Amino acid sequence: MNIKSDNKNGISIVRVEGNIDISTSPDFKKHFKKIIGDKVGTVVINLEKVDYMDSSGLATLVEIYKNMRKYDGTIRLVKLSDKVKGLFEITKLDKLFKIFDDEALALDN
Amino acid sequence: MKSDIANDSYLLKEESKKLISLLKGKGISEDVIFDIHVGFEEALRNAMIHGNKLDINKKVTVEITLTDKDVIIRVQDEGDGFEPEKVPDPTLDENLLNERGRGVYLITHLMDEVKYVDGGRTVVMKKDFDSTVRKKTENKI
Repeated sequence: MNIKSDNKNGISIVRVEGNIDISTSPDFKKHFKKIIGDKVGTVVINLEKVDYMDSSGLATLVEIYKNMRKYDGTIRLVKLSDKVKGLFEITKLDKLFKIFDDEALALDN
Repeated sequence: MKSDIANDSYLLKEESKKLISLLKGKGISEDVIFDIHVGFEEALRNAMIHGNKLDINKKVTVEITLTDKDVIIRVQDEGDGFEPEKVPDPTLDENLLNERGRGVYLITHLMDEVKYVDGGRTVVMKKDFDSTVRKKTENKI
């Protein structure tokens, strides 16, 4: 898994490439330690290049969501493949996360 | 195809890669392969972590029956078993923030038929290769 971070007008943009699963979830979570420590208000996570996610990946996102919620931070997910988006729909996590088709829309929202 | 594997996430991935490689050679849609991929890894993960509790003296037995129209996967652990119907529904509003409990739910909803036997120590799941709909209700083989 490869993660690149960017910052635009105080919003953190995290672009992920690869799988978010039992093997990579610990690294994925580690990446958000500083973001949460700095209490970044909004994080946009671009999942365009994530082809596979399992329940570990979903659980890690929920954990990040909960940690950010403690200081009223929000997560916006962007460009999920139909297959990965389906996992959010099946587990109803699309009720928890704001999902956008486009990074610009997520940044403007 | 039957194999015994130790409780190791690396071996979980290796076993999964073997299965996906076999499926890719059969002209099955990417969506169906994705569902089998998730279902298989969730079952193996549950067996290793929740079943065998990562005990190095215990193993997970995997049996895969591949035909031209479907795959039947049997995953057996050496743990104490569990009652799948007692796993809280992770989609209920009060459980949405839970970090656990989605593996069993995903298996049920991504595979066409699922049953737990041997006190929950074994899960048997089937996926049809022409499956187009992710199941919204629990199915039994």
